[in-house]
Amino acid sequence: MTDFTWMIGGEAGFGIMTTGIVFSKIATRSGYHIFDYVEYPSLIRGGHNAYEVHVSDADVSHLSPSIDVLVCLNKETYEKHKARLTSSSLVVFDQDEFEIKEEVKKIVIPFKKILSNLKGLPIMKNTIALGASVGLFGGDIDELIKMISEQFVKKGEEVINFNKKFVQAGYDEVKKNYSKEILECLVKKPGDDKLVMTGNDAFSIGSVIADARVYVAYPMTPSSTVLTDLAAWQEKIGMVVRHAEDEISVINTAIGSSFAGVRSAVGSSGGGFALMVESLSFAGITEIPMVVFIAQRPGPATGMPTWTEQGDLLFSVFSGHGEFPKIVLAPGDNEEMIELTAKAYNLADVYQMPVIIMSDMYLSESHKSVSKKFIDDFVANYKINRGKLINKTESKYLRYQITEDGISPRLIPGTPGHFYQANSYEHVEDGHTTEEAQPRIDQVDKRARKWATYLGHDFSMPKIYGDLEKSETVFVSWGSTKGIVLQAQKLLKDKKTDSTFIHFNHLYPLDKKKVLTLFKENKKYILIENNSWGQFGKLLTMETGIEIKNKILRYDGRPITVEEVIKHVNPLTR
Amino acid sequence: MSTIQDFSGYNPTWCPGCGDWGIGVAIKQALVQLSLNPSSVAAVFGIGCSGNMNDFLNAYAIHSLHGRAIPNAIGIKIANHKMPVIAIVGDGDCYGEGGNHLVHACRGNHDVTVIVHDNGVYGLTTGQSAPTAQKGFKSKSTPTGILETPINPLALTITSGATFVAQSFAGDALHSIAMIKAGIEHKGFSVVNILQPCVTFNKINTYQYYLKNVYKLDKDYKKDDFKLAVQKSLEMNEEKFPLGIIYQIEKPSYTDQLPQLKESTLVDKKRFTDFDKIEKLFI
Repeated sequence: MTDFTWMIGGEAGFGIMTTGIVFSKIATRSGYHIFDYVEYPSLIRGGHNAYEVHVSDADVSHLSPSIDVLVCLNKETYEKHKARLTSSSLVVFDQDEFEIKEEVKKIVIPFKKILSNLKGLPIMKNTIALGASVGLFGGDIDELIKMISEQFVKKGEEVINFNKKFVQAGYDEVKKNYSKEILECLVKKPGDDKLVMTGNDAFSIGSVIADARVYVAYPMTPSSTVLTDLAAWQEKIGMVVRHAEDEISVINTAIGSSFAGVRSAVGSSGGGFALMVESLSFAGITEIPMVVFIAQRPGPATGMPTWTEQGDLLFSVFSGHGEFPKIVLAPGDNEEMIELTAKAYNLADVYQMPVIIMSDMYLSESHKSVSKKFIDDFVANYKINRGKLINKTESKYLRYQITEDGISPRLIPGTPGHFYQANSYEHVEDGHTTEEAQPRIDQVDKRARKWATYLGHDFSMPKIYGDLEKSETVFVSWGSTKGIVLQAQKLLKDKKTDSTFIHFNHLYPLDKKKVLTLFKENKKYILIENNSWGQFGKLLTMETGIEIKNKILRYDGRPITVEEVIKHVNPLTR
Repeated sequence: MSTIQDFSGYNPTWCPGCGDWGIGVAIKQALVQLSLNPSSVAAVFGIGCSGNMNDFLNAYAIHSLHGRAIPNAIGIKIANHKMPVIAIVGDGDCYGEGGNHLVHACRGNHDVTVIVHDNGVYGLTTGQSAPTAQKGFKSKSTPTGILETPINPLALTITSGATFVAQSFAGDALHSIAMIKAGIEHKGFSVVNILQPCVTFNKINTYQYYLKNVYKLDKDYKKDDFKLAVQKSLEMNEEKFPLGIIYQIEKPSYTDQLPQLKESTLVDKKRFTDFDKIEKLFI
């Protein structure tokens, strides 16, 4: 069985990120599943970067406590991560660069010497390291060479051949001197095609599937790769991507394009979203569909830009002044991100309100393999639902017509013979401003009815992993912690502790009656969140009256680990 | 053929004698003369006395937030670049709250027309000073006189990349109509700054004040000369107000430069379904 973790670390700005993705793709192309995670400071040069890839036979979306192969491009990598080494771990490093005093299994690769012999640039240490790593895992060197060729195809044959020499040199060092250490766990095997993507990539792909035509953003870590993905694809897919001057312009551009009839989305992290919220309320009262992607990072203010946290849940739920309905969703992994993103565009159109997708750095920037078949099947079954969008109407058109389900027909601007205004002031049915009491009440009630309609038609209950009737221990969590809790459940089961996991991804509004059925007497409910307040716990109390006192909360910028979940349940476990 | 009545919504609630009346009529007249009708034009209104025109002018419209009309207008244009889009805003709205949007819309040469009601005060909030108020202007928010020097809307927009910048005076309806028409007909970002007395809260910049201080540009004025245009616009700093097209050049607009909009508008295009093209980037 294959289940191992490879990590490469080095100075920021020296190609660690690219190298990590190449390693992930070699694993998926060889038939395995991957989950990876990057650690990097908010700097371009200097500081420490580390990229770890968890490779497994089975679908995986958590990190492992130990590192099986640690590739150290500098001494700091070793010092920072040696605590996660075991007696069988291998440490790849260059003795000419630094010494390791501890007793560990050393794989000495003369990076420096190879670079100088082959006249390579310092950044090509990575290429040597990739060759050596593939060698150590018994992987396919041809697959690696193919990847390098694809990577440099635009730079020409000469560059490709030059890089090949470094791959080969790393690989040969291992074959020559460490043939006994070779792990044989990346041996190529048959498997279906897999895509290596981050949560941000998954949001971008979901948006393309949903036929989003406008995306507007201002760069903000960790959401920026949605902007760069979609900007790179825009001509191919027929989308317009605008990098606006600030987040206020971002959402207002999207409000304009959505008003004009095209599916539109915006993305940011908490700080950028904070600038958008007045306009979110504007989308709320004008009933203009809007998909908002939020990749959370630890705040307040600039906080810790390149680290992870689920600290903006309550802010998102309550974002915007005044009372208007919105929907908040939080996918647990890439597959859910694709599904819920595509669903979000339908919900925004059907209910004519803002739909927020919550991610965080952990989900947004970690790669996880997703089977191509999953996406193809999803695409085949996905139906675009634009709700009550119309392009003709017989009678006098009323944009804010009072209806039983709260949803009014939405006419595409430009339709001949009609006109209307989307009014940020309170308005009467035809859109004109009002300050009268009754029309105000009618419109407030109409907008609120959309929530009831949503709860009746499109709200999804949390997924239950395990048997709620039988388990005494019940985990309650939301969003990106999914893979971690699932793995903890698995390991606990091995130790004869049965548990159930309630994973919420439709966070707000909640259906009180339905959700209450999941909370029973005499069970130990444990709330797991990547924040310090237990924000979902508070939301749950507000919406249902349930209070969970037993909590695992982490807010140091790092993701919750499988081990801390297990330890919490079973303090004596090692 | 449309008429002024087609564009007329509710009766305006502006103060008697307010410059907004003249601007409101000028906008409607310009739209009629351009053979547009309420279904064929998009209008975005800011918040202020000027923005209140939302209920008085019929069109596919957004009554926006204070300061945000320009990005709304840009969004409409991106989605449907064949539709004429105008933004009807005030000086506090556009030069204060939304100043950042204005500067960047100039840079982008977005094909929208911004019609600014420039009266030096915030009328709707009862008379605080606006960014175009002359230094020393006394108002409720600046009881001892405003310390800041005024924004120069012409110089700001010309130097930020606007490709059409004009100025008119609300007291001269015919000239205002001509400027608005020329702005809408211009392909690219156009700004029409309309000097407008606020009869209720601005006792300095009155009709008489403007009549004394405005003048029309010569017939042979070279409007495509950038340096000359900047020079002209700087006269505003000396309380001399040139009227006419101060600056106009031809340049591709934002949507002109997007290959994905060559075939059709975004709102009318066919759905993209060739997902393999995207999937393969990740394998």
